[in-house]
Amino acid sequence: MPSPCRTPSATLLPRWRYCALNSSITDVDTTQLLKGVLDLAVLAVLKDEDGYGYDIMRRLRSAGLDEIGDASVYGTLRRLFQAGLLTTYVVPSESGPHRKYYALNPAGRDQLLRSGKIWRSFATTMDTLLDDKGMAA
Amino acid sequence: MTVTEQEIARYVGQVREALADLPPAVRDELLEDLPEHLAEVAAEGEGSLHERLGPPEAYAMELRNAAGVTVPAATPNLDQRIGAAVRKGRERVHAADTRLGPVLGYPRLSDFLRLLRPAWWILRGYLAAMLITVLLTGTSFGLLPRLGGSSLAALLLLAVTITGSIWLGRRTDRMGRRPRLVLNLGAALLVLFGLAGFAELDSRAGGGGNPIPYEQVYTDQYGGVQDVYVYDGQGRLLEGVRLFDQNGQPIRLGSAWCAEAQQRYETMPDYGDLSRMTYPYCPEGAPFRFGPTTPPATGPVTPAVPTDPSATPDGTAPPATPSGAAATVTPSGGPTPSPTPTD
Repeated sequence: MPSPCRTPSATLLPRWRYCALNSSITDVDTTQLLKGVLDLAVLAVLKDEDGYGYDIMRRLRSAGLDEIGDASVYGTLRRLFQAGLLTTYVVPSESGPHRKYYALNPAGRDQLLRSGKIWRSFATTMDTLLDDKGMAA
Repeated sequence: MTVTEQEIARYVGQVREALADLPPAVRDELLEDLPEHLAEVAAEGEGSLHERLGPPEAYAMELRNAAGVTVPAATPNLDQRIGAAVRKGRERVHAADTRLGPVLGYPRLSDFLRLLRPAWWILRGYLAAMLITVLLTGTSFGLLPRLGGSSLAALLLLAVTITGSIWLGRRTDRMGRRPRLVLNLGAALLVLFGLAGFAELDSRAGGGGNPIPYEQVYTDQYGGVQDVYVYDGQGRLLEGVRLFDQNGQPIRLGSAWCAEAQQRYETMPDYGDLSRMTYPYCPEGAPFRFGPTTPPATGPVTPAVPTDPSATPDGTAPPATPSGAAATVTPSGGPTPSPTPTD
Protein backbone atom coordinates (compact mmCIF):
# COMPACT_ATOMS: atom_id res chain seq x y z
CA MET A 1 0.00 0.00 0.00
CA PRO A 2 2.68 2.61 0.81
CA SER A 3 3.68 3.89 -2.55
CA PRO A 4 7.09 5.44 -2.98
CA CYS A 5 6.75 9.17 -2.81
CA ARG A 6 8.74 11.17 -5.29
CA THR A 7 9.33 14.83 -4.67
CA PRO A 8 8.80 17.04 -7.68
CA SER A 9 11.92 19.07 -8.22
CA ALA A 10 9.95 22.30 -8.09
CA THR A 11 9.03 21.94 -4.46
CA LEU A 12 11.37 23.16 -1.77
CA LEU A 13 9.60 21.16 0.85
CA PRO A 14 11.70 18.56 2.59
CA ARG A 15 10.79 15.24 1.08
CA TRP A 16 9.33 13.78 4.27
CA ARG A 17 7.00 16.70 4.61
CA TYR A 18 5.95 16.66 1.00
CA CYS A 19 5.22 12.97 1.32
CA ALA A 20 3.50 13.47 4.64
CA LEU A 21 1.23 15.97 3.00
CA ASN A 22 0.47 13.57 0.22
CA SER A 23 0.38 10.15 1.79
CA SER A 24 0.73 10.34 5.58
CA ILE A 25 3.83 8.17 5.51
CA THR A 26 6.76 10.04 6.94
CA ASP A 27 10.47 9.43 6.64
CA VAL A 28 11.11 10.45 10.18
CA ASP A 29 14.42 8.66 10.48
CA THR A 30 16.42 10.74 8.04
CA THR A 31 14.91 13.91 9.38
CA GLN A 32 15.88 13.01 12.89
CA LEU A 33 19.44 12.30 11.80
CA LEU A 34 19.61 15.47 9.77
CA LYS A 35 18.54 17.58 12.69
CA GLY A 36 21.73 16.73 14.53
CA VAL A 37 24.13 17.44 11.67
CA LEU A 38 22.48 20.28 9.79
CA ASP A 39 24.85 22.82 11.36
CA LEU A 40 27.83 20.79 10.27
CA ALA A 41 26.44 20.32 6.78
CA VAL A 42 25.84 24.04 6.31
CA LEU A 43 29.29 24.89 7.63
CA ALA A 44 30.78 22.30 5.30
CA VAL A 45 29.22 23.66 2.12
CA LEU A 46 30.44 27.15 3.03
CA LYS A 47 34.00 25.96 3.58
CA ASP A 48 35.29 26.66 0.10
CA GLU A 49 32.80 29.13 -1.24
CA ASP A 50 30.49 31.77 0.25
CA GLY A 51 26.85 31.43 -0.61
CA TYR A 52 23.37 32.92 -0.21
CA GLY A 53 20.43 31.06 1.31
CA TYR A 54 18.89 29.50 -1.74
CA ASP A 55 22.29 28.66 -3.17
CA ILE A 56 23.30 26.93 0.06
CA MET A 57 20.24 24.77 -0.04
CA ARG A 58 20.89 23.88 -3.64
CA ARG A 59 24.41 22.77 -2.72
CA LEU A 60 23.12 20.63 0.15
CA ARG A 61 20.54 19.01 -2.07
CA SER A 62 22.93 18.33 -4.89
CA ALA A 63 25.28 16.79 -2.33
CA GLY A 64 22.55 14.28 -1.60
CA LEU A 65 20.74 15.82 1.36
CA ASP A 66 17.48 16.12 -0.50
CA GLU A 67 15.51 15.86 2.73
CA ILE A 68 16.36 19.44 3.54
CA GLY A 69 13.68 22.10 3.51
CA ASP A 70 14.12 25.80 2.92
CA ALA A 71 13.01 26.77 6.39
CA SER A 72 15.62 24.46 7.90
CA VAL A 73 18.42 26.08 5.93
CA TYR A 74 17.22 29.59 6.67
CA GLY A 75 16.77 28.81 10.37
CA THR A 76 20.18 27.19 10.61
CA LEU A 77 21.87 30.13 8.91
CA ARG A 78 20.18 32.53 11.31
CA ARG A 79 21.34 30.50 14.28
CA LEU A 80 24.92 30.08 13.09
CA PHE A 81 25.04 33.78 12.36
CA GLN A 82 23.79 34.64 15.82
CA ALA A 83 26.28 32.22 17.36
CA GLY A 84 29.00 34.31 15.68
CA LEU A 85 30.19 31.60 13.28
CA LEU A 86 29.24 33.39 10.06
CA THR A 87 29.64 36.79 8.54
CA THR A 88 27.29 38.22 5.97
CA TYR A 89 27.50 40.67 3.13
CA VAL A 90 24.99 41.81 0.58
CA VAL A 91 25.63 41.57 -3.13
CA PRO A 92 23.43 43.79 -5.29
CA SER A 93 21.93 42.06 -8.26
CA GLU A 94 20.91 43.70 -11.49
CA SER A 95 18.21 41.31 -12.53
CA GLY A 96 16.76 40.14 -9.21
CA PRO A 97 16.75 40.99 -5.54
CA HIS A 98 19.89 41.67 -3.54
CA ARG A 99 21.48 38.56 -2.20
CA LYS A 100 22.75 38.08 1.29
CA TYR A 101 25.92 36.01 1.23
CA TYR A 102 27.12 34.00 4.17
CA ALA A 103 30.79 33.27 4.81
CA LEU A 104 32.67 31.30 7.43
CA ASN A 105 34.66 33.44 9.85
CA PRO A 106 37.56 32.01 11.87
CA ALA A 107 35.22 30.88 14.64
CA GLY A 108 33.14 29.12 12.01
CA ARG A 109 36.14 27.35 10.54
CA ASP A 110 37.20 26.27 14.00
CA GLN A 111 33.73 24.97 14.70
CA LEU A 112 33.66 23.10 11.40
CA LEU A 113 36.95 21.42 12.23
CA ARG A 114 35.87 20.32 15.69
CA SER A 115 32.40 19.20 14.72
CA GLY A 116 33.83 17.41 11.71
CA LYS A 117 36.16 15.39 13.92
CA ILE A 118 33.36 14.48 16.29
CA TRP A 119 31.18 13.43 13.36
CA ARG A 120 33.91 11.30 11.79
CA SER A 121 34.58 9.46 14.99
CA PHE A 122 30.89 8.97 15.55
CA ALA A 123 30.35 7.74 12.00
CA THR A 124 33.25 5.31 12.33
CA THR A 125 31.81 3.98 15.54
CA MET A 126 28.44 3.47 13.90
CA ASP A 127 30.03 1.78 10.90
CA THR A 128 31.92 -0.63 13.12
CA LEU A 129 28.83 -1.31 15.12
CA LEU A 130 26.81 -2.13 12.04
CA ASP A 131 29.61 -4.25 10.58
CA ASP A 132 29.97 -6.19 13.80
CA LYS A 133 26.33 -6.96 13.89
CA GLY A 134 26.39 -8.01 10.31
CA MET A 135 23.98 -5.31 9.30
CA ALA A 136 26.21 -3.52 6.86
CA ALA A 137 24.40 -2.65 3.74
CA MET B 1 9.50 36.56 -11.42
CA THR B 2 6.20 35.00 -10.59
CA VAL B 3 6.03 35.97 -6.93
CA THR B 4 5.02 39.47 -5.97
CA GLU B 5 6.17 41.56 -3.06
CA GLN B 6 2.69 41.30 -1.57
CA GLU B 7 2.80 37.55 -1.68
CA ILE B 8 6.13 37.54 0.15
CA ALA B 9 4.86 40.00 2.73
CA ARG B 10 1.74 37.93 3.24
CA TYR B 11 3.71 34.71 3.62
CA VAL B 12 6.09 36.33 6.11
CA GLY B 13 3.12 37.70 8.00
CA GLN B 14 1.57 34.28 8.27
CA VAL B 15 4.84 32.75 9.45
CA ARG B 16 5.09 35.54 12.02
CA GLU B 17 1.59 34.75 13.21
CA ALA B 18 2.46 31.08 13.61
CA LEU B 19 5.40 32.11 15.79
CA ALA B 20 3.24 34.38 17.91
CA ASP B 21 4.11 32.51 21.08
CA LEU B 22 7.79 33.48 20.87
CA PRO B 23 9.07 36.56 22.66
CA PRO B 24 8.88 39.47 20.19
CA ALA B 25 12.63 40.03 20.25
CA VAL B 26 13.42 36.41 19.37
CA ARG B 27 10.79 36.35 16.68
CA ASP B 28 11.93 39.58 15.07
CA GLU B 29 15.50 38.34 15.05
CA LEU B 30 14.41 35.11 13.44
CA LEU B 31 12.32 36.78 10.76
CA GLU B 32 14.66 39.70 10.13
CA ASP B 33 16.04 38.33 6.89
CA LEU B 34 13.07 36.26 5.82
CA PRO B 35 11.61 38.73 3.28
CA GLU B 36 14.98 39.00 1.52
CA HIS B 37 15.49 35.30 1.70
CA LEU B 38 12.07 34.58 0.23
CA ALA B 39 12.76 37.11 -2.50
CA GLU B 40 15.86 35.11 -3.39
CA VAL B 41 13.83 31.93 -3.38
CA ALA B 42 11.15 33.53 -5.51
CA ALA B 43 13.72 34.78 -8.00
CA GLU B 44 14.76 31.22 -8.78
CA GLY B 45 12.23 28.69 -9.83
CA GLU B 46 8.60 28.74 -10.74
CA GLY B 47 5.42 28.58 -8.73
CA SER B 48 3.94 30.42 -5.80
CA LEU B 49 5.61 30.46 -2.42
CA HIS B 50 2.81 28.36 -1.05
CA GLU B 51 3.41 25.69 -3.66
CA ARG B 52 7.15 25.65 -3.20
CA LEU B 53 7.46 26.08 0.55
CA GLY B 54 4.24 24.59 1.79
CA PRO B 55 1.83 26.24 4.22
CA PRO B 56 3.33 29.07 6.30
CA GLU B 57 2.45 27.26 9.52
CA ALA B 58 4.56 24.26 8.51
CA TYR B 59 7.37 26.57 7.39
CA ALA B 60 7.26 28.27 10.77
CA MET B 61 7.39 24.90 12.53
CA GLU B 62 10.43 23.81 10.56
CA LEU B 63 12.08 27.18 11.10
CA ARG B 64 11.44 26.92 14.81
CA ASN B 65 13.12 23.53 14.96
CA ALA B 66 16.10 24.51 12.81
CA ALA B 67 16.73 27.75 14.63
CA GLY B 68 16.57 25.97 17.95
CA VAL B 69 14.04 28.31 19.47
CA THR B 70 11.77 26.65 21.92
CA VAL B 71 8.55 27.84 23.35
CA PRO B 72 9.38 29.92 26.40
CA ALA B 73 8.83 28.15 29.68
CA ALA B 74 6.47 30.84 30.81
CA THR B 75 2.95 29.87 29.84
CA PRO B 76 1.42 32.17 27.28
CA ASN B 77 -0.73 34.84 28.80
CA LEU B 78 -4.49 34.63 28.88
CA ASP B 79 -4.99 36.70 25.74
CA GLN B 80 -2.75 34.40 23.74
CA ARG B 81 -4.40 31.31 25.14
CA ILE B 82 -7.86 32.60 24.34
CA GLY B 83 -6.63 33.64 20.94
CA ALA B 84 -5.20 30.18 20.33
CA ALA B 85 -8.39 28.50 21.52
CA VAL B 86 -10.50 30.71 19.27
CA ARG B 87 -8.19 30.00 16.35
CA LYS B 88 -8.32 26.28 16.99
CA GLY B 89 -12.09 26.36 17.31
CA ARG B 90 -12.40 28.31 14.10
CA GLU B 91 -10.16 25.84 12.30
CA ARG B 92 -12.22 22.96 13.59
CA VAL B 93 -15.48 24.57 12.49
CA HIS B 94 -13.94 25.28 9.12
CA ALA B 95 -12.81 21.66 8.77
CA ALA B 96 -16.23 20.36 9.74
CA ASP B 97 -17.77 22.81 7.31
CA THR B 98 -15.82 21.47 4.36
CA ARG B 99 -16.09 17.85 5.46
CA LEU B 100 -19.85 17.80 6.02
CA GLY B 101 -20.70 19.82 2.93
CA PRO B 102 -20.23 17.01 0.39
CA VAL B 103 -22.48 14.75 2.48
CA LEU B 104 -25.35 17.05 1.58
CA GLY B 105 -24.07 17.62 -1.93
CA TYR B 106 -22.64 21.09 -1.35
CA PRO B 107 -19.02 22.23 -1.36
CA ARG B 108 -19.49 23.42 2.20
CA LEU B 109 -22.06 22.95 4.89
CA SER B 110 -22.32 26.70 5.22
CA ASP B 111 -23.39 26.94 1.58
CA PHE B 112 -26.34 24.76 2.41
CA LEU B 113 -27.16 26.57 5.64
CA ARG B 114 -27.07 29.89 3.83
CA LEU B 115 -29.85 28.61 1.58
CA LEU B 116 -31.92 27.97 4.67
CA ARG B 117 -31.69 31.54 5.91
CA PRO B 118 -35.11 32.66 4.58
CA ALA B 119 -36.64 29.61 6.25
CA TRP B 120 -35.10 30.73 9.51
CA TRP B 121 -36.51 34.24 9.01
CA ILE B 122 -40.01 32.79 8.70
CA LEU B 123 -39.52 30.58 11.73
CA ARG B 124 -38.22 33.57 13.64
CA GLY B 125 -41.31 35.58 12.74
CA TYR B 126 -43.55 32.74 13.83
CA LEU B 127 -41.72 32.34 17.13
CA ALA B 128 -41.91 36.08 17.73
CA ALA B 129 -45.68 35.95 17.19
CA MET B 130 -45.93 33.06 19.63
CA LEU B 131 -43.88 34.93 22.18
CA ILE B 132 -46.03 38.03 21.85
CA THR B 133 -49.18 35.95 22.30
CA VAL B 134 -47.88 34.09 25.30
CA LEU B 135 -46.62 37.27 26.95
CA LEU B 136 -49.76 39.32 26.30
CA THR B 137 -52.48 36.80 26.96
CA GLY B 138 -50.72 34.43 29.33
CA THR B 139 -52.07 31.46 27.41
CA SER B 140 -49.97 28.41 26.91
CA PHE B 141 -48.06 27.65 23.76
CA GLY B 142 -50.36 26.55 20.96
CA LEU B 143 -49.95 26.06 17.26
CA LEU B 144 -51.47 29.38 16.25
CA PRO B 145 -50.73 32.62 18.06
CA ARG B 146 -54.39 33.24 18.89
CA LEU B 147 -54.28 36.75 20.23
CA GLY B 148 -57.53 37.18 22.09
CA GLY B 149 -58.67 33.75 20.98
CA SER B 150 -59.28 34.84 17.40
CA SER B 151 -57.86 32.96 14.46
CA LEU B 152 -58.04 36.04 12.28
CA ALA B 153 -55.97 38.00 14.75
CA ALA B 154 -53.53 35.11 14.78
CA LEU B 155 -53.09 35.21 11.02
CA LEU B 156 -52.71 38.99 11.02
CA LEU B 157 -50.12 38.86 13.77
CA LEU B 158 -48.25 36.12 11.92
CA ALA B 159 -48.25 38.14 8.71
CA VAL B 160 -46.84 41.16 10.52
CA THR B 161 -44.11 39.34 12.44
CA ILE B 162 -43.00 37.15 9.55
CA THR B 163 -42.85 40.10 7.18
CA GLY B 164 -40.90 42.02 9.78
CA SER B 165 -38.52 39.15 10.32
CA ILE B 166 -37.84 38.79 6.60
CA TRP B 167 -37.34 42.54 6.30
CA LEU B 168 -34.89 42.37 9.19
CA GLY B 169 -33.15 39.35 7.72
CA ARG B 170 -32.48 41.08 4.43
CA ARG B 171 -30.86 43.96 6.26
CA THR B 172 -28.80 42.02 8.77
CA ASP B 173 -25.69 42.07 6.62
CA ARG B 174 -25.69 45.83 6.49
CA MET B 175 -26.06 46.25 10.22
CA GLY B 176 -23.39 47.36 12.63
CA ARG B 177 -21.85 45.09 15.20
CA ARG B 178 -24.01 46.10 18.12
CA PRO B 179 -27.45 45.77 16.48
CA ARG B 180 -26.37 42.44 15.13
CA LEU B 181 -25.31 41.27 18.58
CA VAL B 182 -28.68 42.31 19.97
CA LEU B 183 -30.38 40.47 17.12
CA ASN B 184 -28.39 37.30 17.75
CA LEU B 185 -29.14 37.41 21.45
CA GLY B 186 -32.82 37.85 20.67
CA ALA B 187 -32.64 34.91 18.26
CA ALA B 188 -31.06 32.71 20.92
CA LEU B 189 -33.83 33.62 23.37
CA LEU B 190 -36.49 32.95 20.73
CA VAL B 191 -34.99 29.56 19.99
CA LEU B 192 -34.98 28.69 23.69
CA PHE B 193 -38.57 29.86 24.01
CA GLY B 194 -39.51 27.86 20.93
CA LEU B 195 -37.86 24.69 22.20
CA ALA B 196 -39.58 25.00 25.56
CA GLY B 197 -42.91 25.67 23.86
CA PHE B 198 -42.62 22.74 21.50
CA ALA B 199 -41.63 20.43 24.34
CA GLU B 200 -44.73 21.51 26.24
CA LEU B 201 -46.92 21.13 23.17
CA ASP B 202 -45.45 17.76 22.47
CA SER B 203 -46.12 16.45 25.94
CA ARG B 204 -49.67 17.82 25.77
CA ALA B 205 -50.22 16.05 22.46
CA GLY B 206 -49.12 12.87 24.15
CA GLY B 207 -46.10 12.48 21.95
CA GLY B 208 -43.63 12.22 24.77
CA GLY B 209 -43.10 8.51 24.35
CA ASN B 210 -46.27 7.72 26.28
CA PRO B 211 -49.11 7.68 23.80
CA ILE B 212 -51.82 6.91 26.37
CA PRO B 213 -52.10 9.00 29.50
CA TYR B 214 -50.90 7.12 32.51
CA GLU B 215 -54.25 6.79 34.31
CA GLN B 216 -55.72 4.69 31.53
CA VAL B 217 -53.00 2.13 31.49
CA TYR B 218 -54.00 -1.16 33.06
CA THR B 219 -51.34 -3.75 32.91
CA ASP B 220 -53.71 -6.00 34.74
CA GLN B 221 -57.42 -5.62 34.37
CA TYR B 222 -57.84 -6.85 37.94
CA GLY B 223 -55.41 -4.29 39.28
CA GLY B 224 -58.26 -2.48 40.95
CA VAL B 225 -59.51 -5.60 42.77
CA GLN B 226 -59.02 -5.34 46.52
CA ASP B 227 -60.69 -8.48 47.67
CA VAL B 228 -62.53 -11.48 46.27
CA TYR B 229 -65.94 -12.67 47.43
CA VAL B 230 -67.12 -16.07 46.30
CA TYR B 231 -70.80 -16.96 46.48
CA ASP B 232 -72.24 -20.37 45.97
CA GLY B 233 -75.29 -21.19 43.91
CA GLN B 234 -77.59 -20.21 46.77
CA GLY B 235 -75.99 -16.85 47.12
CA ARG B 236 -74.15 -17.75 50.25
CA LEU B 237 -70.80 -16.13 50.83
CA LEU B 238 -68.04 -18.68 50.97
CA GLU B 239 -65.14 -18.04 53.30
CA GLY B 240 -61.67 -19.47 53.49
CA VAL B 241 -61.53 -19.94 49.75
CA ARG B 242 -58.42 -20.31 47.65
CA LEU B 243 -58.27 -19.71 43.94
CA PHE B 244 -56.06 -21.50 41.45
CA ASP B 245 -55.58 -21.26 37.76
CA GLN B 246 -55.50 -24.16 35.33
CA ASN B 247 -51.85 -24.80 36.14
CA GLY B 248 -52.36 -24.95 39.84
CA GLN B 249 -50.85 -21.57 40.40
CA PRO B 250 -52.56 -19.66 43.20
CA ILE B 251 -54.42 -16.63 41.98
CA ARG B 252 -53.52 -13.64 44.06
CA LEU B 253 -55.80 -10.65 43.88
CA GLY B 254 -56.13 -7.74 46.22
CA SER B 255 -54.46 -7.31 49.56
CA ALA B 256 -55.11 -7.57 53.23
CA TRP B 257 -56.78 -4.21 53.29
CA CYS B 258 -58.71 -4.27 56.57
CA ALA B 259 -57.45 -4.54 60.13
CA GLU B 260 -58.89 -7.98 60.59
CA ALA B 261 -57.05 -9.32 57.58
CA GLN B 262 -53.88 -7.64 58.66
CA GLN B 263 -54.08 -9.34 61.99
CA ARG B 264 -54.82 -12.68 60.41
CA TYR B 265 -51.94 -12.18 58.08
CA GLU B 266 -49.51 -11.40 60.85
CA THR B 267 -50.50 -14.30 63.04
CA MET B 268 -50.21 -16.85 60.28
CA PRO B 269 -47.77 -19.66 61.01
CA ASP B 270 -45.65 -18.90 58.01
CA TYR B 271 -45.84 -15.19 58.25
CA GLY B 272 -45.34 -13.35 55.05
CA ASP B 273 -46.62 -15.96 52.67
CA LEU B 274 -49.54 -14.12 51.21
CA SER B 275 -50.42 -17.05 49.01
CA ARG B 276 -51.68 -18.92 52.07
CA MET B 277 -54.26 -16.29 52.89
CA THR B 278 -57.79 -17.29 52.02
CA TYR B 279 -60.52 -15.24 50.40
CA PRO B 280 -62.16 -13.10 51.29
CA TYR B 281 -59.58 -11.20 53.19
CA CYS B 282 -62.23 -9.11 54.82
CA PRO B 283 -65.62 -10.85 54.98
CA GLU B 284 -67.07 -7.68 56.50
CA GLY B 285 -66.62 -5.95 53.20
CA ALA B 286 -68.82 -8.36 51.25
CA PRO B 287 -70.92 -6.50 48.69
CA PHE B 288 -73.95 -8.74 49.04
CA ARG B 289 -75.51 -10.21 52.15
CA PHE B 290 -78.19 -12.85 51.96
CA GLY B 291 -78.90 -13.83 55.49
CA PRO B 292 -76.31 -15.32 57.76
CA THR B 293 -73.12 -16.48 56.31
CA THR B 294 -73.26 -20.17 55.97
CA PRO B 295 -70.25 -22.26 56.28
CA PRO B 296 -69.59 -23.79 52.96
CA ALA B 297 -70.72 -27.28 52.45
CA THR B 298 -68.21 -29.78 53.52
CA GLY B 299 -66.78 -31.82 50.80
CA PRO B 300 -64.43 -31.18 48.02
CA VAL B 301 -64.87 -27.88 46.38
CA THR B 302 -62.53 -27.39 43.53
CA PRO B 303 -62.50 -23.81 42.47
CA ALA B 304 -60.65 -24.48 39.30
CA VAL B 305 -60.02 -27.75 37.71
CA PRO B 306 -56.43 -27.91 36.66
CA THR B 307 -56.07 -29.20 33.19
CA ASP B 308 -52.60 -30.38 33.86
CA PRO B 309 -52.82 -33.57 35.89
CA SER B 310 -49.35 -33.23 37.28
CA ALA B 311 -50.31 -30.02 38.91
CA THR B 312 -53.45 -31.30 40.53
CA PRO B 313 -53.53 -30.50 44.20
CA ASP B 314 -53.99 -33.88 45.75
CA GLY B 315 -55.69 -32.52 48.76
CA THR B 316 -58.64 -33.94 50.49
CA ALA B 317 -57.44 -33.54 54.05
CA PRO B 318 -58.30 -30.03 55.09
CA PRO B 319 -55.79 -28.48 57.43
CA ALA B 320 -56.87 -26.02 60.02
CA THR B 321 -57.69 -22.75 58.39
CA PRO B 322 -56.60 -19.54 60.01
CA SER B 323 -60.16 -18.38 60.39
CA GLY B 324 -60.99 -21.62 62.11
CA ALA B 325 -64.68 -21.17 61.45
CA ALA B 326 -64.78 -22.36 57.94
CA ALA B 327 -63.66 -25.74 56.88
CA THR B 328 -62.00 -25.45 53.56
CA VAL B 329 -60.73 -27.72 51.00
CA THR B 330 -57.11 -26.93 50.79
CA PRO B 331 -54.48 -28.64 48.83
CA SER B 332 -52.34 -30.29 51.45
CA GLY B 333 -48.96 -28.81 51.79
CA GLY B 334 -50.29 -25.60 50.38
CA PRO B 335 -49.78 -24.57 46.86
CA THR B 336 -46.70 -26.51 46.08
CA PRO B 337 -47.76 -27.98 42.83
CA SER B 338 -45.14 -28.62 40.26
CA PRO B 339 -46.73 -26.98 37.31
CA THR B 340 -45.42 -28.07 34.03
CA PRO B 341 -46.48 -25.42 31.59
CA THR B 342 -47.31 -27.07 28.36
CA ASP B 343 -45.50 -24.52 26.29
